[in-house]
Formats: sequence, structure tokens, C-alpha cells
Amino acid sequence: MAFFEALRDRAVNTINQVLDNKKSDLGLSKDERFCREYNLPDGEVILDETAAEIGIKHERVQPQAQSQSQSQAHGNNRPHSNSSANQLDILPQGRLYLTPHFLVFRDAFDRKACSFTLHLSTIKKVERLPTRSYVYALSTTTHSRLIITFYLVGVRPESEKFAHNLKLSLRANLPNVSKLQPFIQTLYSEYLLSKNNVSLEKVEEVPPGGLGLKFKFPGNAKDSRDKSKMKLWFDLLRTDGRNLSVIKTPMFYRLVRVGLPNRLRGEIWELCCGSMYYRLDNPDEYSKILQVNEGKQSLAKEEIEKDLNRSLPEYVAYQSPEGIERLRRVLTAYSWKNPDVGYCQAMNIVVAALLIYMSEEQAFWCLNVLCDRIVPGYYSKTMYGTLLDQRVFESLVQETMPILWEHITKYDIQLSVVSLPWFLSLYLSSMPLVFAFRIIDVFFLQGPKTLFQVALAIIKLNGEELLKTEDDGTFIQILKNYFQTLDQSAHPNSPNEKYRAITKFQELLVTAFKEFSVIDEDAINKHRAKHRDTIFQNISTFVKRTELRNLPKTAFTQEALSIIYDRFYSMVESYNVTMASGSSLMDFKAFTKFMSEICDWCYAYEDGDSEKGSAGELSNPIETSFLKRLFNHWDTEDQGAITLSDLVVGLNRLTAPDLMENMANFFELYDHKGNGKIDREGILQMSEDLLYITTPWKEASLLDSITERDIEQVIADQIVKQKKQQGSDTEGEIIVPSEIDIDDNEKQRLINQQVERYLSGASTFIQRAFEYAQPQEEEVLLEELSITDNKISHNAALNPNAPVYINLPTFRMVVLADETYELLFSKTFSSSIHVDKPLDSKFKTIRNLRDMFDGLLADGRKVATQVRRRMDSAASNAKHNSGNNSSPDSASLKSAKKEEEEYRDDDFGVIAIDEKDKDLLLGAEAQVLTDPVRHKTTGSSSDISKFHKAEAEAEAASHSPRETNLIEFEHD
Amino acid sequence: MSLPNPATPVKLVLLGEAAVGKSSLVLRFVSNDFQENKEPTIGAAFLTQKCTIGDRTIKYEIWDTAGQERFASLAPMYYRNAQAALVVYDITKPASFIKARHWVKELHEQASKDITIALVGNKYDLVESDEGGEEEDSLRKVSIEEGKSLAAEENLLFFETSAKTSYNVNDVFIGIGSKIPSASSTEAANQQSHVSEGRVDLSGGVNNRGQDACPC
Repeated sequence: MAFFEALRDRAVNTINQVLDNKKSDLGLSKDERFCREYNLPDGEVILDETAAEIGIKHERVQPQAQSQSQSQAHGNNRPHSNSSANQLDILPQGRLYLTPHFLVFRDAFDRKACSFTLHLSTIKKVERLPTRSYVYALSTTTHSRLIITFYLVGVRPESEKFAHNLKLSLRANLPNVSKLQPFIQTLYSEYLLSKNNVSLEKVEEVPPGGLGLKFKFPGNAKDSRDKSKMKLWFDLLRTDGRNLSVIKTPMFYRLVRVGLPNRLRGEIWELCCGSMYYRLDNPDEYSKILQVNEGKQSLAKEEIEKDLNRSLPEYVAYQSPEGIERLRRVLTAYSWKNPDVGYCQAMNIVVAALLIYMSEEQAFWCLNVLCDRIVPGYYSKTMYGTLLDQRVFESLVQETMPILWEHITKYDIQLSVVSLPWFLSLYLSSMPLVFAFRIIDVFFLQGPKTLFQVALAIIKLNGEELLKTEDDGTFIQILKNYFQTLDQSAHPNSPNEKYRAITKFQELLVTAFKEFSVIDEDAINKHRAKHRDTIFQNISTFVKRTELRNLPKTAFTQEALSIIYDRFYSMVESYNVTMASGSSLMDFKAFTKFMSEICDWCYAYEDGDSEKGSAGELSNPIETSFLKRLFNHWDTEDQGAITLSDLVVGLNRLTAPDLMENMANFFELYDHKGNGKIDREGILQMSEDLLYITTPWKEASLLDSITERDIEQVIADQIVKQKKQQGSDTEGEIIVPSEIDIDDNEKQRLINQQVERYLSGASTFIQRAFEYAQPQEEEVLLEELSITDNKISHNAALNPNAPVYINLPTFRMVVLADETYELLFSKTFSSSIHVDKPLDSKFKTIRNLRDMFDGLLADGRKVATQVRRRMDSAASNAKHNSGNNSSPDSASLKSAKKEEEEYRDDDFGVIAIDEKDKDLLLGAEAQVLTDPVRHKTTGSSSDISKFHKAEAEAEAASHSPRETNLIEFEHD
Repeated sequence: MSLPNPATPVKLVLLGEAAVGKSSLVLRFVSNDFQENKEPTIGAAFLTQKCTIGDRTIKYEIWDTAGQERFASLAPMYYRNAQAALVVYDITKPASFIKARHWVKELHEQASKDITIALVGNKYDLVESDEGGEEEDSLRKVSIEEGKSLAAEENLLFFETSAKTSYNVNDVFIGIGSKIPSASSTEAANQQSHVSEGRVDLSGGVNNRGQDACPC
């Protein structure tokens, strides 16, 4: 059945959903992968692509500024490119991509010989070159006066299409061009070129930058040959373009690897990781976030506050209010921007480091890209990325250094514990800052594989020493010493002077980026895929354990709570599990699904059930109204959604085993004002909901324990009868047969009895509720003062214009007056909610008559007791009446009947009710609910007369002896 | 070869909410020092210190963990195989005491079965001056009785300390040391049982006592 299948399908647990989510990470779309590879903002799509050859030359701004930078030039001249003497001609081949905001090129060789990501805003001019017929060439000029010529390779219509698409994109991008000028003012590269008169741009002010500008940059600029580096970059920026239109040649990569010069470091970082594009596109966002959230409090803010004075405290800027303020603003802004991550310790150190070289805005966007893209999950609420990458690191060590790994395993040294801070704080808390920054230079260029390559190299270079250790303490000490001596010679005893000059840090970089260059993105992703499941399992287990422990105390067992937890998370957004514990919310739709899975009386349409309604919708509006009532009542925070804790507490109340408590809880659902009174509308709602809740029993798809008892009796009678016929002894063990033949009419009679009981219960409930309802004091005093006649005042309660209410004692009295409803609240209802039903169990609530018979027979004990009772009573009857009663069989039947009667008999008797009586009940509602005009058209005279009859009956019933008992409950 | 006092190594882990003074307690115990603005612990810090109790020398291998909530999911990596734990709270911060309760439960459920746990209420220096007087505005928010009763309930050692004034700090480690069974065999057995695959083992110890996990 589609219903069961759909249900089973949905009953996947949290972990699987999380895993699926993660798997889809790997299965990114082509566009998404493209964006990741070129660090473009999400949402860029490839509009067109083509094979192309590239020609680049630079239009000198100041002809007198001669340069020697034609190192890259190839001699291969094209006929048209004979214009400039200073041209730099390279003709790499590769692929050209067009997206809405970028023109991306990568060479076909190794993607590093020549690649660029041109922002369309930087393109000043595009023209088609007059070339020979088979070449289609476009010449573009950028804001940095770089002239790039594209020779499109391919059939002419395709090239024309590309050119057309480029034109469209450029046109569409025009509104963004205005952002370029102000942006240029924030870039140090532009300032540098402008100040040296080699740029058309005018940048007069020093662009906002890092704290280093004011508080000095860490390390010794002389030692790091900062000036020479700056000169090299200056040349590169002139010839290969800069920032949004830079052409990355092998020189670019080389210059990053030797370490970035202090003043350009921040800009190159944001260029390499792509955060520059976000900053360009969202010029005001940083200040807006801070402005909008000013004065707001949050957990993240508290946590940030604790760590502000503990972030790179040795750097002088963080001993001053200015540094602390910047740090506070960037961390806080990010916590508002991405509340799922908020703030994680270690981010303070990373941001403190970024802020030495970057302006607040640069650091803010860089942090965004870092947390969301480069190392996702590192700083999240469960830190799953950190845990996963530590596991990956361990297996990489195992793979590349098996002997050391064996040693580590043998002595149970916790490698991942040692390496975790390296990854989490990007080596900033492990090694002297100057070295950590060199690693970060490469990290932003090459991505997270850098972290692994360096970590492996650290282990490798210390391998011999580490093999001698037998405990965590020594292991950690060796590495600590190593980090503190990175500036020392790697080969202090070498006779070769050149060798002696190599520092440990240089050795580390060479080992990391040469020897471990095989540890690339693919290798890491392969390992991540392998371990992802286990890590997520573990996290889920941990999160679950923590969350279950934090739940309020209820009557549920741990097993039941565990099942509720799994079901809850199978319904709500799955990614939340990886993000946090206890923060997931269940909306109303998920709630109805949840309830329909565990409650016998709740059915939600399944997918494919389209004839009746769309999936997840409930089968009738009354059902929605009752569930909505529960939902709103359980939604303690009034946020339109409930937490796991709300759900557990609510279910616990709903299934309260105590009759009185259960009734009180039910009453409370309708007591909106919390004043212990339910008004007319509420009473009507309540009786409607009761009708709805009791549907399975009213329609006999489920049998309650009264019917069960009746069935027992029928079976017992049958057995006794058979025994008599066989003339077997009344003594001895009673064997319950595995099958018994019961007359179909008898079965039908039992079913009808139950149906009648429920209909009668509903009918009497509403009648009594209104009968015992008390008038609202004030109004009564005003309107009913003169009326003394009982009859009239009684009618007044039914009069829709007279406000009435019932209180809890009245409600209890009304319920307890009916055996079926009493049972509903003491047992039937709470046992119809299967909180502990396993998630993947088949949905089986239909306990039909056949099953009931079989079940009772299989169990045997209950029936046997009944049979024994009959046998005994028959025997004692025989003794006492000594033959008076010739037919013990009928006596037993009679006694059984009598017993049944005693059980059944409330003082009001069973009101004979058939299907029509349902109309009567509805008629009563209609009478109260509908306006007079509508009432006349809908309510027939017979309905009204029936109603009066029922009213009379109810009145008669109220004079019955039980009434005195009932009234006692008012004082309860 | 035959050293007079072969030190018994004892793995001890510190758990507790952020900024309750875990690292400061360790710093006081290991270096008899105190720093006002200590850098937050990323993941965990590792320190060792020897401690002589009677004729025994114990070498504490101390894992000082990060206190921020989200690092809790890393905690199982650190308390794995631990023979002793300090669950630390700040006597001026009620929330940190609730967190301590959770840690105790977590350890009882997930850590080695015979782990010795000490409950430590730190920052006694902040309330020292107004102890004795019945001042309404005392900084103390968790009474000594509450601490004692949780300790009695969960069978923990209990101390109130001040890492700043060093009040009671050494007593904690001496107290723990005297409770640790001297037989190193148990420890060896423990170590073996955990050396299996899943090295980043979040599920904690192998002795799953989940069934006992009734709410208090």
C-alpha cells in the first residue's frame, strides 16, 4: 500500500538525512563546482563557454616607466599584434567561461600557467578585431589598461553567440559598474600604483587596512625582505593587472609562496579566497549588520566578550581599545550574519590575525568565506568539520607514514587531539605568528589541503623523534619544541653552508608542498567521504544523548524518549542536527505528520492520495482544529513552532495515566483565558473534538476495553457451553482452544454495541455540558433577573445569546457520567498514542474484531479466568439450588449477561441511539451555532423534536440516583 | 632501574563551562602561578605534574579542555581512558553548576566505569570576604550545600577552591590521588580496551551505561 510505503520512506532517521545532505555536497552541480573552483560568489552560472587562445598586452600609462618585465613573453607573434613595443604577448590556450558577472579563463596546461577571473565591471571596452575570416577575435580593455585578446576557437556561429552573450552580460552588469570606483579606493594595490604614477586611477588616501599599519606588523620587515617583495608585486601588478582583473601567472603563485608583503597581504588574501567579490557586491552590509543589531544581546556576544582580551594578547594592538573594538565588531557582525555558527573559540584568534592585515570589512568578508566555504563545519555548533578533518588527517598519516602510525596506535597517542588546534586556529596558536602567516598566505591561495600538507610535513619531519615517544606528554612536547625552533637551521651540522642556511620552516614548506603535493583536494575528499558517516553517527549520538539529558522530566522511558527524538528529527529540517543541539523547531505541518504516525485517531494524507487532498494535509478540518489546538498549546515560546522539549512535555501530558489529571489536561486545552472556565464556543469545540478523537472506536476500526471484556465473555460462554456439551469436569485446568467459532451476528452485535456507546457518549456529553453549564454571572444578573422559572433558565443555557461556561469539576462530572467517556480519559485515549512505536515499524493500528478474538485466545489467561468464574458460579448455583435450575448452561449465560449489565449499567441507562442520533447531536450544535435564518433551512422539525426528546431524557437522567454521586465531584 | 618511587601515571581531564577557571586551576597546580587573562583553550591543553601522597608518587597527565559549549562534542576524545576528572563550576555562576551536573552525568554514562570524579566549585576568592556574614548581596550564587549534596548524590569528591589564592587547589589533586586505586593493572586493561579503530571516538568509553541514565 502506498500509505505504508510512504510512511516507511519517511521514517528514515536523522543520521541518514544528514548523510544524504552531506553527500549532495559532493554531488554539486556543474555551476556550483565551478563557483567553488574559482572562488566566485554562489549563484554564478556558466552562461556560455568556449575554447580560446589569449593574447595579453599592457597599455603603458606612463611610457617613461620602462620595465624589464617581459620575462613571460613568447616570440609567437600574430599578424595583428604589432602595435606596441612594450607588449607582453603570451598565447596560452584554454577555456573561457562567461557568467553573469565574470569572465573566467583557465589554461589547458595546468590551470596555473595563465588563468584569470575578470569581473565584468572592470571591462572598459570590448571590440571585435578585424582578422582573417577563420579567426574570431575579441579585444577587451580593463580598467587597469590591460588589453586581453580572445581568439575564439570554434565554428563561427558559436563564436558569434559567445560574443553576443558577452555583450548581454556586460549590458546587464552596467548597474554594478558604479560600485567599482569607490571599491578601488579601498585597495592598496591601486593606491600603490597611483602613488607611483603608473595608474590612471586616482587614489589619494591610504586605503583602510589592518592594525599593522598603525601598530607595526609582526616580525622584522628587514628579515622578511618586505621591500623586495613589494617591488616584485609592484611589477606584477603593473604587467598582469590587479585585484578584480588580475591575470594569475606562475609568478603570482611564486610570489604568494615566498610570503606576502605586509601592506598587500590583506588584499591578496581576499583576492585569493574570493571574499573580495562579496565585499564588492555588498558595499554596506558590514556596517548595516552592526547598525541593525546594535544593542542586541546574544549568547554569541557573551562568548565573544569573554575572549576579546584573550586573542593574540601579545600583539600590541590587542592591548589597546582600538584593536579590541575592531575585533569585537568583526566577530559580532559575523555572529549576526550567520547565527547558525555564531561564535566559536579559535575564531577570535583567526580574526585577530586577519585584522592585523585587513580592514574590518575585509576581515568580515574573509571570515564569511572562511567559515562557510573554505573550512565549513570547523566552527559550527557541533564542529563536525573539525572532527571529520581530524579523522581524515589521521588516516592520511596512516597512509603516508605507516610505521609511525603503528607506533602511535600502539602507545595510544591521540594524534587528533594534538593536531586539532593546528587546523582550528590555522596554526596561529601553535607556531610563531610570522610562520603561521606564511602558511595562511598559501592556505588562501590553495585551500584547505594546505592545512593537511603542512600537518603531514610536521609529523614527517619529527618522525624519528616521535617514534621514541610512548605517551601523549612527550609527543606534544617534541612538537612544541619544534614550533619554537622553526627559525633555526634545519641542518646545523652540515658542512655545506647553503644547507646550514636552510631554516626548519623552509624545510617544512618544501616538505609540505613538494612531498605532500599528492595530498590534493581529491585525496582529501575521498577520505572525507569515507569517514563522514562515522563522524556524523558519532555526532548524532552525542547530540542526541545531550539533548535527551536536557529534556524536562517526564514519565517516558529512555527508550520512548529516544524514539520520540528520532521521529522528531526525521520530521524537521535535518541540517539543524549538524549545526546545533536543541535548536531545531517543528512546524505545524511536521507536527501533523508526527501525530499521524503515532496516534490512532489522526490520519494525514499521504503523497499520491491526491484525490482527497494534498500530502501532509489532514483528512478533515476538525482534525486540523484539534491538532492546531494541541500545537498552539504546546508552543510555549509562542513562535509558531515547537521544540523537542515542548513536544515531549505535551505528549507526556496528553498521555497522563491518571484519569483526573488527564481530564484536567484536556480541559486546559480549551481554557484559553486560563480562568478555569470554558465558554459556549469552547464547549462546542470540545464536543466536536471528542467526536473526532473517538472516530476509530465510533467506526469500530478499533475496539476499546469494554468491548474487549464483552468479547471475553462471549468466548467464555462459548467454551463453557462446549464443555457442558462434552460433559467434561468442572475441575482441572481450563484449556482455551486456539480457535473458536462465534456467530457473525454475535460479532456484529458487539460492534454495534460499541458504536452505540460512542455515539451516545458524544450525545450525552454535549447535552450534559450545556445542562450543567453555569451562566456568566454579570450577564445573568442583568438579563435573567426577572426569570425565576427553572425551565426557562434551563433553556437559557441553550440559548446562544446567554453566555455560559463550564468549569473543571463540571467537565469531570459530565465525563464521568458516561462509562465510555470515563474509559476514554482513563485508558482509551492515552493508549491510542503510541509514543514508543519504533520509527520504522509498520503502521498498524487497525485492531479488528478477528484480531481481538485471536489475541484473546492466544493470550488465554483472561478468557480462562472468565471461564473459571462461570464454572465456579455454575457449580455453586448447582449446590445452592440443588437441581432447581435444570439448565446450568442458560444460568451461566444469564449470569454472564447480568454481570455485563452490572458493568454496563450506569444510572442513565443506555440511550438507544442509531446513526440518526448523530444528526441529533449535530442538530444540537447547529442550533447553537447557526444563525436563525440558516437554522430554519437546515434544521427540520423532526430534528428539533428529537432534540427536545433528548433534552427530556437528559433531564430525566439528571434526577437519577447517580446524580448525588456526580455532584460530589464538584467539590473534588 | 629500581627507582624508589615509580610514579603512577594518572590521566585526569578537566571539564566545565567556559571561563570557570579550569586552565587557571591547572596553572596553579602545575606552576603555582595565576594569570588574569589566559588565552582560551583551543580543543585541549596538555600538562603534567607529579604529586606525592604518602609513599606514592602520582604523575598527573592533565587534559585541560575548552569550555565553550560547542567543544563539548570533542570532549569524549579527551575523557577517553581518563581515570580521574575534575568537573569545575564557578560558585558565582548558577548556570555553570547546571552545566557541571550535565558533565557528571555524561561521565557516569560514557567514561571509564571506575573514574574518580571531583566536583570543584572555583572562584572562592570572590566570596571569601563575605563568608560568615549573612549578606544579601553576596556574589556567591551556588551554596556549599548544593555542591555537597550533588557530590553525595553522585558519589563525587567535593571541593571549593580558588585558583587565584590557591585555596584548596592542591587538596583537590591530593584527594583525587588518594582515591585512585594504586594497581596499575586496571589502567593497562582500560587502555587496551579502547585501542580500536574509530580514533576520533565521540561515543566515549565502551562501557555504555545508558540504561542507568534516569533523570535525577
